[in-house]
Amino acid sequence: MPDLVIRNLHANITGTDTEILKGIDLQMSKGEIHAIMGPNGSGKSTLSHVLMGHPGYEVTEGEVLFEGQNLLDLAADERSRAGLFLSFQYPFAVPGVTVANFIRMAVNAHRKGGPDGVDNPVRIPEFRKQILEAMELLHIDKSMASRSLNDGFSGGEKKRFEILQMAMLQPKIAVLDETDSGLDIDALRIVSDGINRLVGPNMGTLIITHYQRILDYVKPDQIHVLMDGRIVRSGGAELAHELETSGYADIAKEVVN
Amino acid sequence: MTAWLDEFRQQAAESNEVLSVPSLSDEHWRFTSLRGIDFATYAATVEAVPGEPQGAILAEGEHAGRIVMRDGGVVLDEFSPEVAAQGVVFGSLKRLAEEHSDLVEPVLGTIVGYDEKFAAENGALWTDGLLLHVPAGVKVALPFHASYEIATAGAAQQWRVIISLGEGAEATLVEEHLKGEPGYANGVAELVVAESAHLTYVVVQDRNDASLHFAAHRAEVAKDATLEWAACSTGSKTGKTRMETRLTGEGSTGRLSAVYVVDGKRHLDLDTTQEHDAPNAGSDLAFKGVLLDDARSVWRGVIRVAEGAHGTDAYQENRNLLLSPKARADSIPGLEIDTNDVRCTHGATAGPVDPMLRFYLMTRGIPAVEAERMIVEGFLEDALERIPDERIRTALTTAVMRRIPIF
Repeated sequence: MPDLVIRNLHANITGTDTEILKGIDLQMSKGEIHAIMGPNGSGKSTLSHVLMGHPGYEVTEGEVLFEGQNLLDLAADERSRAGLFLSFQYPFAVPGVTVANFIRMAVNAHRKGGPDGVDNPVRIPEFRKQILEAMELLHIDKSMASRSLNDGFSGGEKKRFEILQMAMLQPKIAVLDETDSGLDIDALRIVSDGINRLVGPNMGTLIITHYQRILDYVKPDQIHVLMDGRIVRSGGAELAHELETSGYADIAKEVVN
Repeated sequence: MTAWLDEFRQQAAESNEVLSVPSLSDEHWRFTSLRGIDFATYAATVEAVPGEPQGAILAEGEHAGRIVMRDGGVVLDEFSPEVAAQGVVFGSLKRLAEEHSDLVEPVLGTIVGYDEKFAAENGALWTDGLLLHVPAGVKVALPFHASYEIATAGAAQQWRVIISLGEGAEATLVEEHLKGEPGYANGVAELVVAESAHLTYVVVQDRNDASLHFAAHRAEVAKDATLEWAACSTGSKTGKTRMETRLTGEGSTGRLSAVYVVDGKRHLDLDTTQEHDAPNAGSDLAFKGVLLDDARSVWRGVIRVAEGAHGTDAYQENRNLLLSPKARADSIPGLEIDTNDVRCTHGATAGPVDPMLRFYLMTRGIPAVEAERMIVEGFLEDALERIPDERIRTALTTAVMRRIPIF
């Protein structure tokens, strides 16, 4: 079975009848790069949030299996420790908590595992070495490690720090929600290089994007087009270029017909 | 004999007679009710009660001097001879009012008078406390430490503090109001910071959860002088703490940082002023609180800019994290500005932990309770990180965090 299996996933905005996801089916495994493309409002970010257990959405139908385990039964922190990662489109500022401390806490939570796990904190020199390497990979200045996470960071900086966290937590599947938005061309190249270095036999990624721009740097194995809460087409890398030339409107017509 | 002091006490006593206990109709007491409190049941204590004070967080380590006051009197009055040799005077206020009336008389009652009920009562009845006098040009690196403790349940403790820094002098005083027994504490602290002097003043209030705590701290800061004031409140049932800063000299600075945790049915009232009486002075106040259960906090803060105090830069913020739906925080910022060309800003918020922020932390594998702890600690850290001294900062962080039971 693929590592991530999404079957007929329906989700509403919590406490309402507003359905955003209307039956999503998708399968992927470690080592694979998938992309979800779609116009604004198609449900791309909702899908990423639902996968991670965002309290603003409730699943009304369908299932998500992660390495055979029912993901929807798990709290967000358990999903993370199981090996799922989400790079947020709009990361939150965490005032008063430094980048280094925050990531160390996260790494230690992963090393401990569940609430009944045994504390096995990473040794500080080892952690320091790892984070400095990862920061170098992403061209992040060392001095940033002692700043409050995302507090006063620019949009582009926040995205780099999302990928930094991904590098440190080494997830099995990373969902990257519009990681390319807000990045200039140099930053996009740096972040893409980082992603390419990290994705491998032990990690797969699901790239959610509005534009095909990032896909010039991170080559997807498969592209899925999401419209109105459903995946309406799937295909290879060529689909991105087709979308680029013909736009989503043509696909919409196709689907209707 | 100290006739001047007897006269002061007499006048304060007369004022105390005339003034009644404030009620909700008094502007400064609109949110703090003293109804049902029978102040007469608290026995005035004059004597010191021997014993070791418990629960101080900053009493360890080397000090330039230490004072311990239990009930009405000082039981420990220690002062480094090396520091004394530099002309510094430190110790029991009762003792020094006699021995050094030349230092006490010019200050006592001039910064905090007796026109307010509790200050008047203290003026009439104070039994002991401390004097710290640092002559011009003397910089004392080691901190001074004072502990106040109610040792006998039901006792009243009337403490009084005078700190006077000469031109260019530097000193740190840490003042801890310890848990002790339930009782009634009422105090006055008068701080004089002369030209180019630098005073670090730390007040830790961890009185008994059933105690009443009233205090009027007021500072006058002269030209180019700095007052670095840090406060941490985790104790007492109710009362009021006034923290007033008057910037009397051009280019003076007042920085006030406070953190507090209030739980149960306790009530905390902080009343602050930032009074700009001179041009180009800066004041900056950041108070951050965490409220649990049915607790309530009130912060009333006024920035007052006198005519001619151009170039004033004043800021005040009070932010509260409500960890219970029944907790409540009232923030009443105020600006009274009588001059142009000033920059005065304020901010106040009260709300629960942002569930989206908690979600963000959880997506990194951090369990919900741990995530909440990080958010609370980070929230307080914003105020704590303003405290330059690491030892003090760490102690205050520990003191507030240990009061939050979910962690």
